[in-house]
Amino acid sequence: MLNNELYFLTILTITILGLLVVLLIYLMVRKAIDIKNRKAIEHFIENYQSILFTMLMEGGYSRGLSPKSVLEQKAIEELLSRFSKILEGEDEKKRLSELASMYLAEYYQKQLKSKKWSQRMNTLYHIEDFKLNLLIDDIYLLTTKKKLSHEELIHSLRILALFQYKYFFEMITTHYQSFSEFEYRTILVQLEQQQFEQFILHFHKSSAPLQKAILDVISIKKETNYLPFLENIFSTYKGEIRLRALKALSEIGYVKNTEPYLELLYSTIWEERMVAAKLIGALKEVKGISRLIDLLHDQTWWVRSQAGQAICQFPNGHQILQEVYEKSKDAFAKDMAWEWLHKGV
Amino acid sequence: MGILVWGNVVTVFAWFIAVYMVIVISFYSVIMVISFFQLRKGYQLDRVQAFEDYADEFYTKPVSIIVPAYNEEAGIIQSVRSLLSVNYPTFEVIVVNDGSTDQTLAKVIEHYDMKEIKKVIRKQVDTKPIGRIYQSDILSNLFLIDKENGGKADALNVGLNFSHYPYFCSLDGDSVLEQDAFLKVMKPIIDSNEEVIASGGSVRIANGCQIKNGHIQKIGLSNKPLVVMQIIEYLRAFLMGRIGLSRHNLLLIISGAFGVFSKHWVITAGGYKTDTVGEDMELVVRIHRLLKEKKIKKKIVYVPDPVCWTEVPEDMTFLRRQRRRWHRGLLESLWTHRKITFNPKYGSIGLVSFPYFWIVEFFGPVIEFLGYLFMILCLFLGGSYIEFAILLFLLSCLYGSVFSMTSVLLEEWSLTKYPKVSDIMKLFLYSLTETIWYRPLTVYWRCEGIWQMIIGDRSWGEMKRKGVSE
Repeated sequence: MLNNELYFLTILTITILGLLVVLLIYLMVRKAIDIKNRKAIEHFIENYQSILFTMLMEGGYSRGLSPKSVLEQKAIEELLSRFSKILEGEDEKKRLSELASMYLAEYYQKQLKSKKWSQRMNTLYHIEDFKLNLLIDDIYLLTTKKKLSHEELIHSLRILALFQYKYFFEMITTHYQSFSEFEYRTILVQLEQQQFEQFILHFHKSSAPLQKAILDVISIKKETNYLPFLENIFSTYKGEIRLRALKALSEIGYVKNTEPYLELLYSTIWEERMVAAKLIGALKEVKGISRLIDLLHDQTWWVRSQAGQAICQFPNGHQILQEVYEKSKDAFAKDMAWEWLHKGV
Repeated sequence: MGILVWGNVVTVFAWFIAVYMVIVISFYSVIMVISFFQLRKGYQLDRVQAFEDYADEFYTKPVSIIVPAYNEEAGIIQSVRSLLSVNYPTFEVIVVNDGSTDQTLAKVIEHYDMKEIKKVIRKQVDTKPIGRIYQSDILSNLFLIDKENGGKADALNVGLNFSHYPYFCSLDGDSVLEQDAFLKVMKPIIDSNEEVIASGGSVRIANGCQIKNGHIQKIGLSNKPLVVMQIIEYLRAFLMGRIGLSRHNLLLIISGAFGVFSKHWVITAGGYKTDTVGEDMELVVRIHRLLKEKKIKKKIVYVPDPVCWTEVPEDMTFLRRQRRRWHRGLLESLWTHRKITFNPKYGSIGLVSFPYFWIVEFFGPVIEFLGYLFMILCLFLGGSYIEFAILLFLLSCLYGSVFSMTSVLLEEWSLTKYPKVSDIMKLFLYSLTETIWYRPLTVYWRCEGIWQMIIGDRSWGEMKRKGVSE
């Protein structure tokens, strides 16, 4: 009575088993080939290591190095990638780019058109690491592709920013207005001053994530010539944007007039008290000390912690904290004072 | 007449099992297809490069690592050492000694030069009383808390109260982390601008690997059949199950062995529950519930990259205890939150996840167990019942072996973690045998777990660790 079902199931099971075995054989062969290739690459790496290193350090080219196969190119790629992480000097970095353009640019051009997402991504990572300026047009073309993954788009834009692409500002402001703050930040941080200033001029018209990213980039770069801009943002904006501007100011550690920031230590919003404490600490503004000591009793942990850190930054900071620790009756303030007295010695 | 009725009962029962299996097989197939596409994308991606950006201090959020330790003198120093060398900009390690009766406390104090500190702990979650608090004199981000014994969940809650940072991670005493573990699991949180509030990574089995100083030196395959079967089981659960579920925010388990949570949400949810054996699953369910009840759009995700290596039982006795305990933990979580089941208010969690865990994960073993009994019975009954037996056997092959084999291949196809060709062959052949011995065994143990619950046996069954490190 179950003949049909049994027949069907048996066929199904056998077919699936068959398919899996075929897949297994394929994967095993693939693995064997991969292992063999890996060995070959290691071999090339050993051979090329010293030649490539000499070329990097001393300049000039060697005839001993003329990669033909993909494996050889991979070996060179890996070597350059390792070197790129340890090289410090500008000349060496420039030479590394040159060598990469000579040996790998063509290969990467092809790889950027690969069907595999992961291959394209890896290529993008390498182009960025080696600063392959040569491929700037290929990268631009990539961004215009219709079926482009979000990761690729972000990374391509990041590379264009790194290469200071001429129309970068226009690209971002006309086509790409809905990125997250984190994405904008990883892109914008690559820009040099001239391009970045276009974004500063455009600030008021930007979306909130872009505005936050711009402020964060200034925080990261700690450039003093944006101080007037930051102070202006601080006085004209509200909420999160204002906080970010304040944070950037505290990173730079300089303001013209400390009064408005001292007042901010009394803000009703705890985030503002926290960042203000950070700023006062960075400025080492003596007028703020008494209030910072008060803030050690603040109800929010973050404010207390930041106040402790700020006090630490003053020349007599440890002494102040010691006093609080010995005299204060508030357990939380004592605790925080103790913590900063014993932090990262 | 009597024979006819008996025959009907048998037929109905056989069909019930068969239909059940077909439904589960279809469900697994759908999940597998989703996982397949997710994994395919990342094949050969240079992962070190992909995570490099996140190692920058400016972008990352600090993490508190809580290590509950109960009688872990064998492995505690190794674990802490592995944690301290993790590649992440800002973190602290909090070892919570849960009233160990061995030398755990003394060992840590001596090895890391711990000095007692005075600190007020804000009691955000209720816990058993704590004793002394220590901070290392050498490493200012290493803390040790001594407390009365209260179980793992209670120890985690103490760590939670003490921790300074907005994210925390709980870690089993004897696990080894990959160097980039935190970068990998924190990536979704940072990328999503904190819309993701918990993120887990995949856990692999350390037995058989070479480990030195808390680092994996060489990935290898154990020679013990029981361990190989568990490796396959973990691969299957992690590769197939969780990736598929994570994509649609249906995830109900962040493995206790490795997961990062937003402290704010865990505390809002009330911390770990102390009277269950499955505190990790229970917490995730509670967070989901909280989010749905408050109508907040937050997510819990799962990262397929292996991030943590853990030791599993190598012999029957301990494996049996572990499985019984797991199954009980599952039931406790499902039962505590039974209101969610089929409740449209809880969206996909109520309509998909919970029914799945009830029907497939919880009742699955019972039905399978009956199926196995039935198969044997049919063989004795003979005649047309033999056909039933064959039918059920074929279905359980599909159900057990085939999915496991596919997972093994899926792993090799996308993540390629095992170095030798023979490893893959071995895993494949072992998974072929799953239906014949391993599956029935685990099914039986899980049913035992249910039985223990019914008769009210609440004994625990600790796992004996021999330490994975050399």
